This record gives sequence, structure tokens and C-alpha cells, in this order.
Amino acid sequence: MARKAKRDLTMEEQLARGPLDLPFLMLVLMLLGIGLVILFSASYYTAFRDSEPPVSNNPYFYITRQALYAGAGVAAMYVVSRINYQHFRWMAPLALGVAIVLLIICYIPGLNAPINGQRRWLKLLLVAGPTYQPSEIAKVTVVLFFAARLCKRDTEHKKRFTKRTATGRALNWLEKIGFLELVPYGLVLVAVLGLVAFERHVSGALLVAVGAAAVLLVSGISLWWFIGMGGAGAALVALMYATTGYVRKKFALWLDPWAADPQVEGFQFRQGMYSLASGGLLGRGLGESNQKYGFVPEPENDMIFSIGVEELGLVGGYLILLMFALLILRGYWIALHARDKFGMLTTVGIITLLAAQVFFNVGVVTGLIPNTGISLPFFSYGGTALMIQLAEMGMILSISRQIPAPRKD
Amino acid sequence: MSTRRKYEQGLSWAGAPTGATRGTHSKRAIFRRTIFLMLVCGVLMFVPLAWKLWDIAIVHHDEYQKMAAQQQTLDFSISASRGNIYDRNGNVMAMSATVYKLILSPLDLVKSVPNKDENGKPLDEEVYSARVAARQDQMVEELMALAPTLDRERVVKQVHNTKSAYWEIRTNIEEEEAEGLRAYIAENKTSSYLYLINSTKRYYPYAGLAAQALGFVNDNGGAYGIEAVYNELLEGTAGRVYTTRTAGGTERFNTYANYVDAVDGYNLTLTIDTTIQSYIEKTLEEGIKEFDVRNGAFGIAMDPKTGAILGIASSPDFDPNNYSKVINELLNSQIEKETGEIFQKLKANNPENLADSELMSKAESQAVSDARNAQWRSKAIDSRYQPGSTFKALVLAAALEEGLVSESDTFNCSGSVRVPGYPEPIHCSKRTGHGHQTLAEAVGNSCNPAFMEIGSRLGIERFYDYFLAFGLGERTGIDLPGEASTKGAIWDRNKMSNVDLAVASFGQNFEVTPLQMICGFAAVINGGNLVKPYVVQTVTAQDGTVIQNTQTEVVRQVVSQQTSQRAANILEKVVSEGTGKNAYVAGYRIGGKTGSSETGETDRTIVSFMGYAPANDPQVIVLIAYDRPEPRELGVKCNYSTTGVYISGGNMAAKKAGPLIAQILDYMGIEKVYSADESAAVDVSMPKVTGMSLADAESALKKKNLKFRTIGEGDTVSRQVPAASASIPGGSTVILYLGDAAPEESAAVPDVTGMTYEGAKNALEKAGFFMRASGVSTYYGNSTTAERQSVAGGDVAAIGTVVDVRFFNVVEDGYVG
Repeated sequence: MARKAKRDLTMEEQLARGPLDLPFLMLVLMLLGIGLVILFSASYYTAFRDSEPPVSNNPYFYITRQALYAGAGVAAMYVVSRINYQHFRWMAPLALGVAIVLLIICYIPGLNAPINGQRRWLKLLLVAGPTYQPSEIAKVTVVLFFAARLCKRDTEHKKRFTKRTATGRALNWLEKIGFLELVPYGLVLVAVLGLVAFERHVSGALLVAVGAAAVLLVSGISLWWFIGMGGAGAALVALMYATTGYVRKKFALWLDPWAADPQVEGFQFRQGMYSLASGGLLGRGLGESNQKYGFVPEPENDMIFSIGVEELGLVGGYLILLMFALLILRGYWIALHARDKFGMLTTVGIITLLAAQVFFNVGVVTGLIPNTGISLPFFSYGGTALMIQLAEMGMILSISRQIPAPRKD
Repeated sequence: MSTRRKYEQGLSWAGAPTGATRGTHSKRAIFRRTIFLMLVCGVLMFVPLAWKLWDIAIVHHDEYQKMAAQQQTLDFSISASRGNIYDRNGNVMAMSATVYKLILSPLDLVKSVPNKDENGKPLDEEVYSARVAARQDQMVEELMALAPTLDRERVVKQVHNTKSAYWEIRTNIEEEEAEGLRAYIAENKTSSYLYLINSTKRYYPYAGLAAQALGFVNDNGGAYGIEAVYNELLEGTAGRVYTTRTAGGTERFNTYANYVDAVDGYNLTLTIDTTIQSYIEKTLEEGIKEFDVRNGAFGIAMDPKTGAILGIASSPDFDPNNYSKVINELLNSQIEKETGEIFQKLKANNPENLADSELMSKAESQAVSDARNAQWRSKAIDSRYQPGSTFKALVLAAALEEGLVSESDTFNCSGSVRVPGYPEPIHCSKRTGHGHQTLAEAVGNSCNPAFMEIGSRLGIERFYDYFLAFGLGERTGIDLPGEASTKGAIWDRNKMSNVDLAVASFGQNFEVTPLQMICGFAAVINGGNLVKPYVVQTVTAQDGTVIQNTQTEVVRQVVSQQTSQRAANILEKVVSEGTGKNAYVAGYRIGGKTGSSETGETDRTIVSFMGYAPANDPQVIVLIAYDRPEPRELGVKCNYSTTGVYISGGNMAAKKAGPLIAQILDYMGIEKVYSADESAAVDVSMPKVTGMSLADAESALKKKNLKFRTIGEGDTVSRQVPAASASIPGGSTVILYLGDAAPEESAAVPDVTGMTYEGAKNALEKAGFFMRASGVSTYYGNSTTAERQSVAGGDVAAIGTVVDVRFFNVVEDGYVG
């Protein structure tokens, strides 16, 4: 495709060609780079010990795969960043539809690809190809869909119903308190959350909810809804705590993890602690972790941060967190400066998702919150997830292109 | 229909847009809320994370790090291999080899049963436990197949003891068998719960030989004997590996690893000679049978000049390869007897009201443990005895040194002496008395009155000085464990009375250890030096470097060279003419002294002989003793053993010691030197005289110191007995057949036991046989009688056969009455 001369471009096109936000891009690439290095260090021994195919004792297995996906992901990020994000507006409902279909396929034996009895995985081409979690796609499509709809809130008129009938009066009341407006979001959210949660992927559902909530919050929905939903959520958790032993156990483990059987329930926590503490201020040095030699379970995955801290120390851990913080802050900065409300809501949704993942992962590793099983973006092993993550970053970059240049007088 | 119309029609579910938008005045709210999220997600959220991280990595660093280090570090020792023990010629007496233990972890056996089915679904509890039980049953079968000797009940119990992760199924598995097991483990992939581990086993190739000296090794290292004394040198220094490990337990190689190599134990080369040791042990065993000895025996052979122990034995002994097993017959029979006694004792005093069976097993284990302790004891070192007449040699040397007696002195023995302070006369072993005798004769006769006289000449002070000078008041300092204390072994110097001195002069009423005694005696005959005995000659590292070489340590010179020479000359006569004559071996100049020790117990005598050879240049000194030859009648001071031998050192110990010393000298390659009398009887080769004239034959025979008698008529010798080049003792009378006379093929051998030398010789030669005499030196005295013959009387043998006849002399050297 021959590159059009600037003068031939429409204004839209010209905007879409704007400079992408360099600080954001740099932070993403730095985190990705550090993530790969730590992954290599953390996964080396695990891969070496794993005799099952496809790993087959190849110590480079994880890093090779992850690096390939990272490369593909960076390419995807670039491609996405080149798309005029205004197209995402019409794509959003379609994408959501596709995501829901994929989530449903997860329940169809034969087409799904369950791992350890959990139906959260699909093969890329259904029957073949690398596996991925449709919930990863659902997260971002829900954000997109919500953003695409909620951005029109300012131009959407409130509705008035007849006051003659009771239903009409009830509808009027519901419209007044803003309930009617939320019905479509609620339906979508309930559908997606239900599908994800019943795959036995509660943490995925949690993230979907967080992303959606962020978009809803920023779009200006009455705070009472959040207080209400928060209260309902808390009540649900309380109910589950009271009725199911599983939740209670999880809480007990969280409140006093040292009391748990160090070989069973308390194992992961303990090993994570040992790993974090072994790092001290400056760490053992890159590649020098002792805990990755089979002590920390799945060091290449959810627990990768602990290995990182063991090798790079508190200073290294803080640096990684600082970079995440800067990335997140820059993300919100982009949101605040976005050209339009759609871009803003999309950015807020994606960045909040990222922030939530960082918090939930590091919070679990440090014992701050109960175990959720959420991976650390850019660090944890998982090629397709990384690719989707980078593509999301591409969306933000695409949005950043259309930020109007500051006026210089 | 448009919504507006629907709305106007009053349809309740249709709404009409109003003027107000849903997101009224949302701009500020959106900005504020975004800023709020930005603060929460970009800043506030990181605060607890950073705090937690700080808390863990800095505040709790040491605490958690310690726990982490505990699981990460691998700290194990590398065992050093234990050094070998060699005899003086380099024969391996003790060595270590790798063996294996077969270990089962019942806990991991359970874990090896998958708790999920083929599709990864968790199994029902019941199905799972059924599978576990099936696996356990199968394991029992497999183990029984692997080791059919195992007790099935025990195997079943252990396999189901799922709390245990370590059960030693079998130990001491040798390489050959281990190979099969290894293949089995690899084939069945059992290594997570059934596996082999290395351990070491100590081998003693000579089994019971020198068992007490070598000792043995148990789980804690050397437990007895040389193994215990030299444990530190033998066991070496264990190495250590200190490094990090993986969760699977494998060692990680990195720069933090700290390796200390193991230093293998040193090898020991002993002064003990396995051959000499075996001679001693054989002699002890033979004597025990021959004299019905009930309380064991001991023997020591030493180089008198250096103190190097050539052999040290104690009976009953044991096999250090299996040191807990009681192998001695006498001990085993004692166990039964003792068990009964202990049982009765326990039953009489039974405060815990145990059942009979429990008491019985208690008594049994007590008796077995007593027997074990008995067989592990080295009597030559750790027990004391009254040396008896062997001690006279020391008194003699002291008196000679002090110039109180000389060879020309004479003593008169009436059979008993009265010592002031003692109500009864003290008897000599020969009640009728030895009469008038020279010093040498007095020693030879082992005359007690003579030695009481010599003792009184010495006096208490000098006696005591010499007693200490001969090293009898202190431990010898040998490098073997368990030397008996000398405390209370003799009277205090200031409490010793004249009566004490009198009996002490012939070796009674005080105690020494056999080792002290042999060292003191050695000082008498080796030139006067008391030497420190030792068993370890050299200590060498595995590469052959000599770490330590024992030099002879002269404790002190006790008597002068001349005195020693004079004493040795007198002591030689004990064997050639006196009470030690049963130790005589032609060709070797053996000196020595007999001893019969009172023990204070009725019916228990310790008979001993201290001998050395060659007398002019002693190469070996031997002490052997038998403890309690059983008297024929108990409680009546019967002088004869159940086997009919007069109970005394001269009749028992000397008789066994003579051939032993000869054997040792033979082995050491010391040439026989015959005296004139002896050489006359040395074997000669029969010349061929057949076909010669009688005169020629006579001169040929004369050259060979042979006599002859003729049978038949004629001038030429037609046949001869024995055949040409047969070996017969010099001085024998050969038979020459003249003319047609022919010898019989064979004849019955006459019984010559009890006959004198001449009588026996004549009787045999008359029947066509020849006699080779051995035993006591005084052939020509009629007191010497044949004790046994190599071909029993009445047996038929070929004419011309040389019959070995051993002569024996009953000597009266029993203990004082």
C-alpha cells in the first residue's frame, strides 16, 4: 500500500498518524525486556527438570516461546497502534459477540481444551494451535464495548414513561435513579461474568468486573451504584464465607499463612516469602536465586515476582513496581488527554485492568491479599496472554496518537 | 409505530426521550474520577505493596532467610574409608569394603500409588485405599521373592507401617547381590521407595585370629582392641560438602559450595605375625583339650629385645566378623548353666512380679552378655594372676645383680621351711625335699626353700625395688586397651612382712598381668633392659607415607648385661635338665621357667611356662598359661587332671610351649644347632649297602653313625632294612640280611609307652622298626618314659618304618602344699 501524501489525508487520518506516546511505549518495552530476563532466570531449572513433552528437559523452552510471543506481541502492538482507534467503536459490539461465543465454546467438549479439568482454555484454531484463554479477550472487549456505549452518555437523552400505569411510573422511577441506563451493561456483564466464573476462573471474572467497573465509574455513573454493588459483593463473599468451607479456608490461610501445613496449603506462600526475604536489599544477583530450584512452585508463572526480588533485591523489586506505577500513571495521563471520551474510557479500562493484575499478583506474592492466581503482566509465562496484553498496549498507543498537540503560544 | 406515539398511547414499557441527557454535567465528574483512579492505581495501590515488600525483604530478612537456608543447603559428610590392619608381613588382618543396605520407605510406597485415574480425575477414597492395599500386598510378595530369608510377618508389619519412611530391610549386602537388586530397582522404577544405600563393612579375613588384639568395629567406630585404640588414625577424617541444593535434594554446583575432601584412614602394620599367632592359638586350643582346661588360656609371644608383640592370644575367643556370636563351646555350655542360676536369683528377688518367661529371657540375655564380655576379654592384658615359679627368674636375676648369690652357692632343701610369723611350715613342691643342690639345680628344681633363702638375702626393700624396677608396679603402656590396673596387686612396701617376702620369692600372693610378667622376664634374659611392649609397628597413609614408626622404648636397665647372661645360662638348664625339660626340643637352646599359680580358689590352678630361645641370643620369648585344668577329684587338692596329667606348669604348659617355640623358631628361620648328644640322634640317610661285603657295609654304616645287626648266613649283604636313602635317626641299629635271608614285609609295632628311652628303642628295633625320639632332653635317664608313639602299639606297619616316640618326664613342680 503506497503511503498517501499528507495532504491527501482526511483530518481523521492525519490525527491517526500522530506521534505515539513515547514514554508509554518505552515503559512497556522496558518492562517486557526485564520480564523476559527474569522469566529466563526463573524458568530455566523448572524447564530443565520437566521431562514431559513439549518441554522435554529443554531449559530454554519457556524463554524461547515467551520471546517468540513477545516479538509477535510487539508487532501486534505496532499494528494495533497504527489502527485509527475510532474503528474500535463499531468493532466493539462485534468483538464482544465473538468473545461471548468463544466463552460458550469453552463449555463444549471436543472443541474446548481443558487443562487440569478447567475449561478456561481454547486452541487458537479450535482443533489445533496454541492455547489461549478467551477470558483474556473478554476482558478487553467488555471494556471496549462499555467505553463505546458509555462515551455517548452525554448525548443520550433520558427517557420518560407514561405516568398512567404503574409500570410506567415504576419505569420513570427507575430511569430517574439511573437504573434503566445500566440494564444493557448489567446484562452483558452478568452474561460474561457468569460464563467466565463457571469455567472455574473466578480470578478472570474478577478482572472482567474490575475493568467494567472502572469504565462505568469514570463514565459518570452515580456512585451509589458502586456503593450498592460493593456492598452486594461483600455480602456475597460473606455468604460464601459462611456457607462454603473452601472460602473460609482461603481466608484462614490468608490471615495466618504461617500456621498452615508448610508442605501443603502453606507451601506456596512460605516459599514465596523465603524467596522475597532471601533477596534482602540488593538481591542475590541475577540468576542466583536458590528458591527457583524447585522450591517456589511454578516460578515462571504467578510467583515470578518473588524470584525477581530474590535475585534483584528490594531495590530491584521497587524498580519494577516503580516502572509499573509510571506506566499506569502515564496510562491515566493519556486517558486524561485523550481526544475523545471513547479513547479516554478505553484507556482507563485497559490501564485499570493492568493495575489490578499487578496489584493482585504482587499482593498475593507478598501475602497482602488472599491467593487469587493472577499472573503478572509482561513477566509471567503465557505467550497468548502476553500477546493480547501487548495488543491492548497498542490500543492505548493508538489513542495516544490522537492526543491534540499542546498549544504553544 | 414510533416510540413517541407509543408513549402517547400510554404503553408503559415505551419511553420517550426527554431533554435531559444521561450524562449531565459529567465532565467534571469524569475528570475527578479519572484522577481518583489514577491516584488509587498509580500511587496508593503501591503503598501497601511496597510496605509489605519492605517488611519481608528487610525487616524479616534474617528470619526467613534462615528458614530458607535450612531447606536450601546441603550439608553432608563424605565418609572416609577406614584404614586396613596388616600383620608384620603385610597380610591383611582387617579391611573395609563397601556393602549396601536395602531400604524401604512404606510412606513413599503409598505415595507412589497415583490418586487420580487415567484421565486425571481424583479417585474415590475407597478405590484409592484399595489400590494402596493391593500395592502393599504386592510389595510384600516382591520383598519375599527378593529375600526369601526374611520373616514374613515382620515384612507385612513393616510394609504397612506407613508412618515410617526408612526401614532397613537388609544390611551388609555384598556387591554381587546388590547388582541384582539394582537391576530390579531400575526395572521396576522403585527408587522412590525401595532403594540401596552404601555402607561399609569391616572384614577380618583371618576370622578369629588375634580377635581380642584386633577388636572389632560397631556402628560408633572401633569398639575393642586395636580398632578402638587406633580408631582416630584408622577412621580418617570425614569430608564435608556444604552447598545449596534443589528441592529434589540434588547437589547444586556453584561458587558458594564448600568442599572438604575426606582423608582416608591410615593403615596399621602390626608387629603380630599371623603365622606365629596361629601357632599360639592352636597350642592353646590343644592344651585346653588335652588338660581339660575350664577357664580359658592365654599366650603371648614377644621379641624380648624390642618388645614387639609377635602374637597375643586369649581363649575363649570370637570372630570379629560376627562379634556378638558366642562360638566357644565351653562358653556356650556355660550360658545354659548361668541362665539357670540367674533365673533362680531373679525369681528369688522379683519386685516387679514379672512372669517366668520374662525372667527367663532376662536371665538368658544376661548370661549371653556375660559370655560375650568373656570372649572379648584379652586375658593376657586385662587380668592379673599370681605368676608362681616363673617369677623366680626375676628373683634370681635380682640376687645375682646384687651379688647375694653366685653359681657356686649351694642350697639344702628338706621339703619345707619354717618362716617366723607363719604357724605352719611352708612346703616345697617336692615334699621329700631336693636335698643338696647348686643354684642352677635349685632353679631347675624350682625349689621353694632355696628361693625363700634367696628372697631373705634380698630383703624386703631390695625385693620391692626390683619388683618395681621390673615394671611390675606399673602398667606396661602397651598400645592395646584394657590393661589391668596394678592397684592392690601387691602389699604396700611398708606393710610387707617376712612371710610375705618368703612366699613372694616364689611368686605367690601377689598379682601381675601376664604382659607385665613377660616384659619383666624379658628384662632378665635380654641383657637386662625392660622394654615397652607394642603391637603397632608402623602407621602409614594410603599413599604409603609412613606417619609413625614405633621404636623400641627401653624403660630402664634393670640388671646388668653380665647378670642377664648368668641368669639366662641358669634358666637354660631349667629346660635342659630341670622342671622345664618337657619343653625341650632338640636343636634349639630353649631357656625358661615353669610356673603353677595358686589362685585362692580351690581346684583352680593356673599352669604356665615362660620360655625363650635361642638361649644365647633370644629371638622370641613366649608365655603360655592354662587357667584351671580340671582336677580329677574336686576339693581334695588332687594333683591330677581329669585327663590324667599331673597339674603343673612343667607337665602341662612346658610340654605345649616347647613345640610351640620350636615351631616359631623354625618359622623364623633360625637354624638348629645340635649339641654332640643331639647330633648323634639326628636323622641320617641310609647308605646303599646291598651287594657289599659285610666289612664294606660295616665301614659305610659307621660313617653314618649307624649300628647294625645281621640275619642269615653269608658274606655279602643281600638285602637291607631300611631301604637305601631312607631317613633314620643316627645311632639306630639297621638290619642287614645275608645270603638267602629275607625280611618280612610288615610287622606289628610293639607298644613302647611307659618304657624308658633304651627300652623303647630296643623293643622297636627288635621288631624291625626305628625310633625317632622327641621330647625331654635326658634320653638316658630312666626317669624319662615314652608318652606316646606315632604308630600305636599293635598296629601293623611296614618293616623299617621310623616310629616317632615322644618322651615325657613327670616333674614335681606343683604348687606348695
